[in-house]
Amino acid sequence: MIEFLLDGHSQVAPYMQLVQQVKQGLRTGLIEPGDQLPKVRSVAESLAINPNTVLKAYRHLEAEGLVEGRPGVGTFVRRTLAGPSLAGQAELRRELVGWLRRARTAGLEQEDVVALIQTTMRATFQDDEKREEIA
Amino acid sequence: MMWLAWRQHRKQALFAAVGLAVLAALVIPTGISMRNAFTDSGLAACLRGLGTTEFLRGDGCDSLSDMFSGRYETLATLSMLFVFLPLLVGLFWGAPLVARELEHGTHRLVWTQGVSRMHWAGVKLGLVLAVTVVAAAGYALMVSWWLGPLNQAGQSRMAELSFDVQGIAPVAYTLFAVALGVFAGTVWRRVMPAMAAALVGFLALRLVVLVQLRGNFLPAHERTFPVIGQERPNPTLGDWTFSTGIKNAAGEVMSTGEQIQCGPAVAGRPDTICAPYGPGAYNFELYQPAGNYWPLQFIEAGLFTAVAAVLLFLAVRQIRSRIA
Amino acid sequence: MNLALEAHSLGKRYKRNWALRDCSLQVPAGRVAALVGPNGAGKSTLLNLAVGLLRPTEGTLHVLGRRPDGDRDLLDRVGFVAQDTPLYPDFTVSELITMGARLNRRWDTPLARDRMEQIGIPLDRRVEGLSGGQRAQVALTLALAKRPELLLLDEPVASLDPLARREFMQVLMGSVADGDTTVLLSSHLLGDLERVCDYLIVLQTAHVQLLGGVDELVNEHKALTGPRRQRADVAGVAAVIRESHTDKQTTLLVRTNGPILDPAWTVHDVTLEDLVLAYLAYPAPGRAVLGVAK
Repeated sequence: MIEFLLDGHSQVAPYMQLVQQVKQGLRTGLIEPGDQLPKVRSVAESLAINPNTVLKAYRHLEAEGLVEGRPGVGTFVRRTLAGPSLAGQAELRRELVGWLRRARTAGLEQEDVVALIQTTMRATFQDDEKREEIA
Repeated sequence: MMWLAWRQHRKQALFAAVGLAVLAALVIPTGISMRNAFTDSGLAACLRGLGTTEFLRGDGCDSLSDMFSGRYETLATLSMLFVFLPLLVGLFWGAPLVARELEHGTHRLVWTQGVSRMHWAGVKLGLVLAVTVVAAAGYALMVSWWLGPLNQAGQSRMAELSFDVQGIAPVAYTLFAVALGVFAGTVWRRVMPAMAAALVGFLALRLVVLVQLRGNFLPAHERTFPVIGQERPNPTLGDWTFSTGIKNAAGEVMSTGEQIQCGPAVAGRPDTICAPYGPGAYNFELYQPAGNYWPLQFIEAGLFTAVAAVLLFLAVRQIRSRIA
Repeated sequence: MNLALEAHSLGKRYKRNWALRDCSLQVPAGRVAALVGPNGAGKSTLLNLAVGLLRPTEGTLHVLGRRPDGDRDLLDRVGFVAQDTPLYPDFTVSELITMGARLNRRWDTPLARDRMEQIGIPLDRRVEGLSGGQRAQVALTLALAKRPELLLLDEPVASLDPLARREFMQVLMGSVADGDTTVLLSSHLLGDLERVCDYLIVLQTAHVQLLGGVDELVNEHKALTGPRRQRADVAGVAAVIRESHTDKQTTLLVRTNGPILDPAWTVHDVTLEDLVLAYLAYPAPGRAVLGVAK
């Protein structure tokens, strides 16, 4: 079973940290469909966080179709993130490596690269979302 | 709530029980031996013979009673220390009752359980007052019994300090001391200041009543007898004489604090101590008659009980609305 | 909305000083509400009013729909842990549990005993022999054993070391998950409560400075950065809470009432801590800034 950790200094909201950790687990195959997520009470108690935060994370995952809550029993994984993306990842990774090398040749430091990726990523995803909304 | 009150105060109840037991162990054997000596020495019979004659000629029972009193003088003096017992109860039961809770903040624990503050105060005060009354009554009964022979032998039970350790007055003093301690605790909210305040307050009121008021609760009587003569007041009547002196024939006070008597044989001779006061001079004494003992006890007990009731009322008012 | 606690223009004066003034707030049922503010801001006063230890000087206060005046019907439903967790030093833990059973109509003795066993506090230990953290746990257990609808905790972790703090919060959060208790707990440090609360009340010098659900508060506040300029009206900004300038840049912490589309400003999310610090420095004491309560 997955064990959650919270980074107190992270800018990421606690519930989102939980969501990310579940997704991470799904990607790496640590948890698989049918697995039960820890009970809200035990997460709240072990991390000393508000149970509503845990509930919120689980509801978020439920809305994404990754898990389902069975009343009185617990929350179970429905599908994994590992399968489809793992195959495509190798290809994408190869392209990214090539791009990174070009960036370096162009004189970009590591931090410049991170800044560029982050701003571009934010702008692109935002544009995409807007386009989807219009559509 | 009874459980809590008992759990918190069982040690004090135990102290009270042990204290009473020690007192009994001290008082009962000495009391019995004192009674035996009282009868065996013939003093009892002698005093019965005298009865309640107001004036005596000759020795009366003086030599017997002097001997008896002399023998038990130390114990009688020690018994006067009992006058402080009510104060101790006030200091160690009354003052901490509320003050300790406030000092430790535990009133915030107990007043936020499912019990109203008034209920809490009622049970705690009720229990402590009940134990106080029982313990004080036990002590007063024992001391009254114990001092009986000494009282008859001439040490009036109405005299200062003697009056204060027997009858019902000690019960009222104890109630007053406890109420004062409780009230002081609700005002100062710490045990030590509450104890200090209770100490000062208790001694102050007791002294004022003893010195200023008690003699005036009931009108004093005056008894006179001539300077020249052989009749003197019976010392075993049990009166409380609080003022003595000599007046001349015109009724002017010539001297206070002393009484003199000269035999008729020396009348008219200028070298006697009686001569300066002139013919017709007489001794006087202001006194409360022995028969006023119980009225005075009731008045004094009533006064202190009333003060205790007022203090308890104020303390409860403090608990109800002033303290958080 | 079902309110566990509701105050209108509540005030409490000690002799000449107002410990709490013009305090209007609501705590919705089922929340874990943090009461944050510097020492002397009125946190203890508010909690003591809520549990009926104090009477208001002015205004009204309702707790679980009733005025707290020390009657046992309300006291039965409210758990309270006072500051410094006062307990009778000569009582054993077991005796304290018995005391609770004798004084409360609603009382769960097995719960109290089990909890003590879980935490590893011997029942026959006297309070004076317990550590600060254990005392706090015992006090919390006594409050929880009432199965309260509202749990009030006054600076419960202020005197505890970090490990004891965490253990205390673990037990508290486990209990919150078990039932639908509303919790109102105070601290002068937001950090103590940031992870556990989902509702926030910031008190400053006897006044309410900020109030609302944590998510709503964080969502509606933004940090704006842009080229240095005099502050001008920005569409979507309801109030500027804090502004700072460097030679070239202006930074604003604002409460929004709509999206900020002005391209001159870069919009950043804020953390709860930024928010609270900004409001504690906010130069308008006495003005309650109300957030959206869900």
